[in-house]
Amino acid sequence: MKVTRIIAAAAVLGVTSAATSFAQSATQTVTFQVDAINQIAVSGSPSLGITTATAGSAPTTVTSSGATWSVTTNQSNAKVMASITTAMPTGLTLSATLAAPSGATSSGAKPLSTTAVDVVTGISKLNAAGLALTYSLDATAAAGVVTSASRVVTYTITGGA
Amino acid sequence: MRRVRSGLVALLFPLSLLFLVGRHAGAQFATLRVSGSPATMQVQGAAAGSMALPVVESSTTYTFANIGGTNSRKIVAQLNAPMPAGVTLAVTFDAPSNAVRIPNVVLDATPRDVLTGIDFSLGSSGTITYTLSATPAAGVVPKQSRTVTLTIVSAP
Repeated sequence: MKVTRIIAAAAVLGVTSAATSFAQSATQTVTFQVDAINQIAVSGSPSLGITTATAGSAPTTVTSSGATWSVTTNQSNAKVMASITTAMPTGLTLSATLAAPSGATSSGAKPLSTTAVDVVTGISKLNAAGLALTYSLDATAAAGVVTSASRVVTYTITGGA
Repeated sequence: MRRVRSGLVALLFPLSLLFLVGRHAGAQFATLRVSGSPATMQVQGAAAGSMALPVVESSTTYTFANIGGTNSRKIVAQLNAPMPAGVTLAVTFDAPSNAVRIPNVVLDATPRDVLTGIDFSLGSSGTITYTLSATPAAGVVPKQSRTVTLTIVSAP
């Protein structure tokens, strides 16, 4: 009799607990956010050498090719600025031209100096890779002979809104 | 000896009752619970030229019981509201041996199957993995939440 009561109680307990301690539904709260993202990268380290001129004209400008740049931003109206850490020798001008990704605007060939200049503007919410990056080197006759030297070009992307 | 036998009977009887009722009276017992809510997911980086890096969160688990027959149940998941444009929340339920997982189910306000083919089980568990992705077009998304409702239902 006692065993029967225990079994009955256990059965009720078992059924009850199975039916009430868990639900057929469960919920979770998922919390998330997306931060501002502005990333730029360049590839290639070109070498430029002016070696000739047309008689009566300034030394012939040389242009590099093969370098590329990539960008990812989730903001609107971001822009890319470029500068060099040390000024160019007198009479030499190093310029950079960055192809614009879709919807943005390239500033064309911009002479580089220690003051940052806009090279691409109006970049909005995109990711683009393998965009053309071209350098050109100009020299006046007054520059004379310039031995091999290097400059580090720094590109900075500034987020918009 | 008699006490041991009584204890054993008391333990087995409700389980047998659950099994029999479930098998022969319409598989009416199925339970589901989760261990809690996942940690905040924050998309915050990208490789230049690529989409933002997805965020993966696998800190929570689920447990279900199904007093029913083979392939008698499935688990569906839905959000209380759609995700912002360009933001995707996907989930994968790590499947025990008596169920079939559907990987990377994109969640929205419509119930979506995340685990199917659930057989009889008195308790099976697995990991829940959420993946948060965002396109650049999503822009900056301030911190917010969605409620994910998981329901174990009869399989059609």
